[in-house]
Amino acid sequence: MLAVDVKNIKKTFISKKDTVEAVKDVSFQVKQGEIFGLLGPNGAGKSTTILMLTTLLSITEGNASILGIDVATKDKEVREKIGVALQDTGIDNLLTGRELFFTTCRLWGYSKKDSEVRTNELLDLVGLIEAADRRVKTYSGGMKRRLDLGLSLVHSPEILFLDEPTTGLDPGSRRVLWDEIKRLRDSGVTVILTTQYLEEADELADRIAIIDEGLVVAEGTSDELKASIGGDVITFAFDSDDDLENAKNILSNTVQEKNELRLTVEDGASRIPGYLKDLTGQGVEVSSVSANKPTLDDVFLEVTGYRLEGSEESPTPDEKSER
Amino acid sequence: MQSNRSFIVQLQILTKRMVFRVIRRPLAELPNLIISAFFLFVYDGALGGVFGGAASGTPFDFAKGNFVNFILPVSIVSASLSGAASGIYLVEDIESGVFKRYQSMPISRWAIILAPMNVGAFRVLVQSSLILGIGKFIGADPAVGNIGFLIVLSLAFIWGMGFAGYSVAAGVKSGSSQGAQAATFLFFPAIFLAPTFVPREALKGWLETAAAYNPTTYVIESMRSVMVDGWELDVLFRGYLSAGIFAAITLTFAVISARKATEKA
Repeated sequence: MLAVDVKNIKKTFISKKDTVEAVKDVSFQVKQGEIFGLLGPNGAGKSTTILMLTTLLSITEGNASILGIDVATKDKEVREKIGVALQDTGIDNLLTGRELFFTTCRLWGYSKKDSEVRTNELLDLVGLIEAADRRVKTYSGGMKRRLDLGLSLVHSPEILFLDEPTTGLDPGSRRVLWDEIKRLRDSGVTVILTTQYLEEADELADRIAIIDEGLVVAEGTSDELKASIGGDVITFAFDSDDDLENAKNILSNTVQEKNELRLTVEDGASRIPGYLKDLTGQGVEVSSVSANKPTLDDVFLEVTGYRLEGSEESPTPDEKSER
Repeated sequence: MQSNRSFIVQLQILTKRMVFRVIRRPLAELPNLIISAFFLFVYDGALGGVFGGAASGTPFDFAKGNFVNFILPVSIVSASLSGAASGIYLVEDIESGVFKRYQSMPISRWAIILAPMNVGAFRVLVQSSLILGIGKFIGADPAVGNIGFLIVLSLAFIWGMGFAGYSVAAGVKSGSSQGAQAATFLFFPAIFLAPTFVPREALKGWLETAAAYNPTTYVIESMRSVMVDGWELDVLFRGYLSAGIFAAITLTFAVISARKATEKA
């Protein structure tokens, strides 16, 4: 049985002022015991998709099921099976970590005695034993995220939804959380996470769906996605706009990114001399050129036309260049 | 794992959590309590000399010799406004995402909404009891005996729950705890467009008309009847009816607002 089966779901928000299609058409399947990543920029529809799958938003069109249970009609049954840690961590800062775990355990139906036992287990699991009796408002961002993760695990869910679990964390805290998520996957928990970090998707997710403007534009394992580009990525950089424009006319099938042109070809290194000859032969000055194996970043650029994150030079979604 | 199926147990657990929040912010409890006690001391100090024992035998002897009995209901009505914290507690949970966390669990939405109202009710009882205690300490002596204190407390409770409903509705509608807080400014017209310092018969013009339409008037008069005059069942009935209708309207409004705000979009 599939852990998650999503078929052509859509979400439209209708207000008096306007109508917004937050999710236009999203489909994917997640097998049990894998980490599935929804990768995309802010506003792509990732969080809306998660909110629909966790029964917190209605689905405008399409179908979704969790472990075979229909999300739209059996929300209570679905909630029994899932753990949820949303982007805006719903944590009561006035309580201690221990009190929060205990309260959540009680709400999930543990007896008082069992709640104490489970609380200690989870505090240990997320590395908060020493901070257990401190109020949450004294916790660091990373500690709050670990607490949030722990709270979503109280009832030992079969499927865990994590909405941008590491956003805003320092690299060290991010690494700690990654290890914890991998450990959960290894213990049999299915994890569906959203992220806008390419590195995170690459490192964590067994399979990735790239979402852009409410649509799934690519899906597969990281290696499959990289292989789908077909070859190496050659990057030409230019100092002047005129050279850039001329080069665009000379080279075909390029993707522009600020002052660079990128080209995906088989055996890129051996073809660089030929391209340089064509360019310099027509008076185009190339400031630098390189050939690399494709990264997830290249995949994202290929399928969306813009970079997801990274250097300041990267164009934003609004600045997509025509391919 | 099955979630805790009993609505009552869920409500207990969530109420206990809210109580923790109240205990952790003791200073937040003080302003309303201090204002209510301040009213009692200042009004008794300023007016007690004129309308207290000194007025005996004059047309101004409406307090029948004990002005604390007469003015105490005003402070109690003020204390009962502490129920308005319910809306602030609820909206704080919505703002912080705690509400959504609970919504993602298979627990009753109504337990999540009623828990802050429970704590609001508890707050009304505690603050009103403290003001009654202060009143007794400085000389309050109900005309119907000590049962008068219980009657005043019960009226304060119903009235306070009315304000709790009002604040929940205002908070949920405005979507912010500041909105819920700002809505408590209703307190001023509620308490001062009423026979606050003198009986209604002594008011004149627009204030007399406004007081006649202000439900606070009947709550205060009802409390005063047991404190000053003795058993006057018709006055008592009007007080319970006014408080009851006010609470029924605002709580209904609160339930409708909260249901709309927490429905799946």
